[in-house]
Amino acid sequence: MIYQTPAGARDLLPLEVEQKRWINDCLQHIFQKFGYQRIVTSTLEWLDTLTAGGAIQPSKVIQLRNNGESSLGLRPELTASIARAAVTRMAGNTYPQRLCYRANVFRNPSGGHHGRQLEFYQAGVELLFAGGVLADAEIILLLSDCLRGLGISDWSILIGEAGLTRSLLSAFPESIRTEVRNCIANLDRIALESLELNAELKTSALMLFDLRGKPEDVLHRISALNLDDDARVTVNNLKSLIKLLNSSAAKPLPLTLDLSLLQTFDYYTGIVFKAVSFQDSQSYILAEGGRYDQLLGLYDPQGKSSPGIGFSMSIEDLHSCLLSTTKLPQQAPKSDCLVIPTTTEVEAIALRVARQLRSEDDSARIEIDLGERSEAAIKQYANTCRIKQLVWIEADGSSRIENLE
Amino acid sequence: MITIALPKGALLKDTIELFSNLGLDFSAFLDKSNRQLQISDPTNTARALLVRAQDVPVYVEYGQAQLGVVGYDVLREKKPDVANLVDLKFGYCRLSVAVPKSSPYKRSVELPPHGRVASKFVNCAKDHFDSIDLPVEIVPLSGSVELGPITGMSEAIVDLVSTGKTLKENGLIETDILYESSARLIAHPLSYRLNRDNINELVAKLKSINY
Repeated sequence: MIYQTPAGARDLLPLEVEQKRWINDCLQHIFQKFGYQRIVTSTLEWLDTLTAGGAIQPSKVIQLRNNGESSLGLRPELTASIARAAVTRMAGNTYPQRLCYRANVFRNPSGGHHGRQLEFYQAGVELLFAGGVLADAEIILLLSDCLRGLGISDWSILIGEAGLTRSLLSAFPESIRTEVRNCIANLDRIALESLELNAELKTSALMLFDLRGKPEDVLHRISALNLDDDARVTVNNLKSLIKLLNSSAAKPLPLTLDLSLLQTFDYYTGIVFKAVSFQDSQSYILAEGGRYDQLLGLYDPQGKSSPGIGFSMSIEDLHSCLLSTTKLPQQAPKSDCLVIPTTTEVEAIALRVARQLRSEDDSARIEIDLGERSEAAIKQYANTCRIKQLVWIEADGSSRIENLE
Repeated sequence: MITIALPKGALLKDTIELFSNLGLDFSAFLDKSNRQLQISDPTNTARALLVRAQDVPVYVEYGQAQLGVVGYDVLREKKPDVANLVDLKFGYCRLSVAVPKSSPYKRSVELPPHGRVASKFVNCAKDHFDSIDLPVEIVPLSGSVELGPITGMSEAIVDLVSTGKTLKENGLIETDILYESSARLIAHPLSYRLNRDNINELVAKLKSINY
């Protein structure tokens, strides 16, 4: 077994690394243009830190043995770590904080899946200590700029509102509310129909189940409902957000408003969203995120809560989506030039020539031939590696440049 | 084009009839000489995949089919991440515990602890015995489960019963009904949320036929 990675983990070879680097560089560049600064947090965290928000079950975390008093886990996402770092280590900094990351995360595959992936790469942003519609709009526009910047085709963004859905669910008796919520979150209409609810509640449960579609239509339908004051404010904010997005985006955004978009457990308090793309009858979840206005309080030593919003993008899914296009680099980086000392006596000269060539052109990749092969073998190697130029260092120390086709 | 996963076996005929009501003709699958596993309807509006009933939710969960028809029993056993949309009200059957007629046990709670129970529905059987707090050894079989008690391998079985004829002919009696099952319309969650290929219209039509 020492020749293999564990099931679900894998090695990335140079071409794939180059393609994913291209994707990630592109994303980080867009994050930067919106004023986000990169943060690096620890791969290892206390299990308690990772699960404090309530959205991550300990069974989802790959846990590590240590001799200490408390359990450690590999991070399954970055939001908890960044929230922890921001409220403890960056307290007193200027607000808001715009932070971005590129990192690997680990998830314990649930039972029954054989060899399902457990290590993932993500890029994402967190906009901390800022609430309000404008911050929400910034995040959605940043996400759509990322998708457009990468040249993803056929994508759309599903938007829900965790707070609004929660308030619509509060009409249901507490004893059955969780079941209603689970039926809606898991899209189980049949179970919802069979719940013991009176006719009026059943109608509103099914209506909540079907509250999705074009944002304007859905908002129109919600406005007709009997809402409490808080919900009314949320609906108005949602209207402002949609209006702001439509009037500021360069091109109309493919948005679907979906009030059944929730997890069975999560820490989101405001908008939640997913960016989805379909390629060749395969669906990809390219990004996920939402607003969490209670989470920072869990990590604050004084328990002071502050708003936050963010998203993470899946590098694997973006890569699969772009694989069939010509956007990604099609080849691993190649060397531009091979410097070949023809005798051992001129090796020092070859190294000097190579250094000279590297200093002349900062982007040039210069290789040294390590000897012990014939001229034909060297040319064969250069051919295979698509090296365009050979610099032969002759026995008298002179160099002869040979350009290959 | 929308793709629909259809289950081989007991539900196929009713399923094909259901879609024919919507003008989607997949009756080629009923032709004994047909060997094709993927066909389009004659109007070229939808494609159908012919797969084993247990595999219907797999194709739908991974999104290769946007819709599928499958028994509730399979959904209970596999717990796939799919949208459960319409109870199609055909293919009725129930998952039951059965024991030999001569057995001293008349209910599953009376079965001896650490006894053996044979079943195709390993997860459902486990859930049931967990719920009555009875530790048993579940013996997974993939067919002819009735032979378990007949040959003496197991004390009881957990299996689907539709008419009860098979149980009777093998000298078994039903002791507990775990749940009742019928055919369900399921959908790929993201395709359903985003109304890809106008799934919602098709779902609404199927629903209206069923009420």
